[in-house]
Amino acid sequence: MLKKDLVKNNPLRILSPAPGKDSPDCSMGVVISRAGLGKTAVLVQIALDAIFRGNKVLHVSIGEGLDKAKVWYDDLFHEIIKGQSVENVTDLGDDIRKNRMIMTFKESAFSRPKLEERLNDLVYQNIFRPDCVVIDGLDFAGADRAALEDIRELMTAMNLHVWFTALSHRDDQRASKNGVPAPCHEMEDLFETVILLQPQDGGINLRIIKDDVGSAGAGRVLPLDTATMIVTEGK
Amino acid sequence: MKWNIEKVRNIGISAHIDSGKTTLTERILFYTQRIHAIHEVRGKDGVGATMDSMELEKERGITIQSAATYCSWKDHTINIIDTPGHVDFTIEVERALRVLDGAVLILCSVGGVQSQSITVNRQMTRYKVPRIAFINKCDRTGANPERVAGQLRDKLGLNAVMLQIPIGLENALEGVVDLVKMKALYFDGDQGEKVREAEIPAHMMEEALAKREELLDVASMFSDELMEAVLEGTPTEEMIHDAVRRGTLSLEMAPVFVGSAYKNKGVQALLDAVIRYLPNPTDVENIALDLQKDEEEFVVRPDPEKPLISLAFKLEDGRYGQLTYIRTYQGSLKKGDSIVNSRNGKKFKVGRLVRMHSNEMEEIEQAGPGDIVALFGIDCASGDTFTSSDISVSMSSMHVPEPVISLAIIPVDNKSQQNMSKALNRFTKEDPTFRTFVDKETNETIISGMGELHLEVYIERMKREYGAEVAAGQPRVAYRETITQRAEFNYTHKKQTGGSGQYGRVAGYLEPMEEGDYEFVDKIVGGVIPREFISSCDKGFAKSLEKGSLAGAQITGVRCVITDGAYHAVDSSDIAFQLAAIGGFKEGYMKASPVIMEPIMKVAVEGPSEFQGAAMGSLNQRRGIIVGTTEEGDYTVIEAEVPLAEMFGYSTVLRSLTQGKAEFTMEFSSFRAVPKSVADSVIKAYQDEKNKK
Repeated sequence: MLKKDLVKNNPLRILSPAPGKDSPDCSMGVVISRAGLGKTAVLVQIALDAIFRGNKVLHVSIGEGLDKAKVWYDDLFHEIIKGQSVENVTDLGDDIRKNRMIMTFKESAFSRPKLEERLNDLVYQNIFRPDCVVIDGLDFAGADRAALEDIRELMTAMNLHVWFTALSHRDDQRASKNGVPAPCHEMEDLFETVILLQPQDGGINLRIIKDDVGSAGAGRVLPLDTATMIVTEGK
Repeated sequence: MKWNIEKVRNIGISAHIDSGKTTLTERILFYTQRIHAIHEVRGKDGVGATMDSMELEKERGITIQSAATYCSWKDHTINIIDTPGHVDFTIEVERALRVLDGAVLILCSVGGVQSQSITVNRQMTRYKVPRIAFINKCDRTGANPERVAGQLRDKLGLNAVMLQIPIGLENALEGVVDLVKMKALYFDGDQGEKVREAEIPAHMMEEALAKREELLDVASMFSDELMEAVLEGTPTEEMIHDAVRRGTLSLEMAPVFVGSAYKNKGVQALLDAVIRYLPNPTDVENIALDLQKDEEEFVVRPDPEKPLISLAFKLEDGRYGQLTYIRTYQGSLKKGDSIVNSRNGKKFKVGRLVRMHSNEMEEIEQAGPGDIVALFGIDCASGDTFTSSDISVSMSSMHVPEPVISLAIIPVDNKSQQNMSKALNRFTKEDPTFRTFVDKETNETIISGMGELHLEVYIERMKREYGAEVAAGQPRVAYRETITQRAEFNYTHKKQTGGSGQYGRVAGYLEPMEEGDYEFVDKIVGGVIPREFISSCDKGFAKSLEKGSLAGAQITGVRCVITDGAYHAVDSSDIAFQLAAIGGFKEGYMKASPVIMEPIMKVAVEGPSEFQGAAMGSLNQRRGIIVGTTEEGDYTVIEAEVPLAEMFGYSTVLRSLTQGKAEFTMEFSSFRAVPKSVADSVIKAYQDEKNKK
């Protein structure tokens, strides 16, 4: 199997915004779930998909170390290629190495100005020019709408696609009329794509709640393999 | 004293460079009364620390060779190996860890977990060494042991739990609070030799109780008895000690202690922890290989009555001949005993048996299981196993990294030439990461090792210890060559020069190998190449790997498969088939799309965040790939992968870019293919050099 087949067969193919050069505009997406259901795993799969499609991804990890983020990429990459007889595995590994950069911040140290400063360092010196930014661990409960608008404005100015993870809580029943749970229920309009991870019948489902620019359409469900945390083909 | 193995601790002290290992060891020796005065690493008295016995070590203030010593603390014998912090000398750390049962990981309370701490921790994990951590330098400005404990958890993945908290920090460091006893410990006297126990200062009580709670939470996971007692509110000191020991031995917990070795605070409490929580030789399972049963693994028993099994882990050439450091795992070693080197079957009689104390020694009559001693006059290599004559076993081998840098050395005169040979002979025996060979084309002696400092130190030692003055060339990167696709060959070697000629034909293919350097596969059927010449083909291919035709570098990762061939009843010979294989390899090699590989280093630049952009830019200019950045407050660590060839002189560049506020460390990561433009210039440089000759 070639890299292009890996990209073509990826169940995430239906997702939008499709991160990368071949997407028309920059856009924002969010993966929401309770703790421990696999938000980071889905985010990293979105990042890997973007990389395999020739894009550069900046992975911003808030509150977790560099090594942990690296391990996610290594593990999921091996799970994705396992049993697929992919050619040139070494080249694919090199693609990840060259086209991914990880930035970690303490919870208290992350802010839009800090992110902007770091992005400028990378872009102006031509060190790394990302096409897509994935931000794992942003505290949505503590971030107000203005903060998210601020980040959106930055991403628009830099023409970047951005994906977030957001932590929801079982005991917080608030939700938007479309079913976007707290803490993102009042900022639904800021995202083009909203994905919810939900436990169901002993497994975990990836439910697309909102999809303004992609082909999936709201309501589409993809199962997550709980052993490997890989998104699988939906029926 | 009656030998009681349960009262022996073999421990290593390892950490990042300049985190105070040698200073701490000096205090340990002082408090255990092995020495009677404390000398500092760069002390004004000019004596230097006891464990830094090599002149160079004293001058540079770093530990180069690990030194072994022992001391007694509260009726226990502690064997200590003080190991180097610089990554170039990592083999010393690896060797020490192989023979140790436990380790103290030293961290600087300001610098925290740095890249070398990560390397050392990984090595400890590889050899399953239980560890305790000591956060040193709590007296320094910017000390933050709490942050460092957090890094132990986040960066090293250790279940780090504080067993002490400092009383005051920086200039105000007074002592420590023992969270098990719930007492304050102060270290009085000119050299902190008097440990005074007192009540915890009232203003710290709340913090101490909270920290003790955390400790009990973690420790009770290792003891049901403690868990019940905690629930009932009656945990005893013994229960906590027992649970912490279990957690430590199972490698599932790393107790953390704090202090300042330089200010003589916290060292005695650390020694208590060493004997309390680190394993004795019976707690550790060591595996040996039974050479009579096809290297079947078996567990070594630390029983003095059983046959001897011991491992030579370090060699030194001293005034009285070769000194061999040995760790005994099973049985006893007595003066006059006959022992066998299981690698070559050579027998030796144990002459002088000594315990080492840095570069001084103490004669002993016998050593029991778990002991670390040294023998005189035994010819062996590092890593050899010695046993009594009735068994044939080997301890598992040690991991030896490949050298990444080389340079040519030319002796300045005849005398130096002779002395240089002697020196190289000794150094290569002592240190498996230091290699030497003579380049057949240039006739130059090439030395290779793990980094610039590594080679620099050996050149300096040649001069100082052997009087061998050498002119050293520019350091060169140790490139490798490999193939990227399968290619066939069919080569006939034919030579007729009167008398019997030479004839041999080999056909087959070369293919890349993911793992390993070289493999020879014989797929000959029907005797087209007679059996006696198969090994000649293997030899020929192996010879071909010594020097690739692109850059003259060693070829690795090649499988040579022979499928066909032909011979002549009279003219075929060993040499004819060797030459046929060499010819076949040459033919196949260029068709197999060979590439040049270069060593890639894992580089960590640490410094104030304001210089992050400049530092990243400098790495980027060096063909570096930025793996990531970790920002903590005003401090950032940049992790990158950079070709070694681009790292020469980087320390000066980094210093000027960051006003001397950032530092970097690097260690070998892997070999990777060089980009085409670089490959072209490497090939050109090699061709130019060849044409000059």
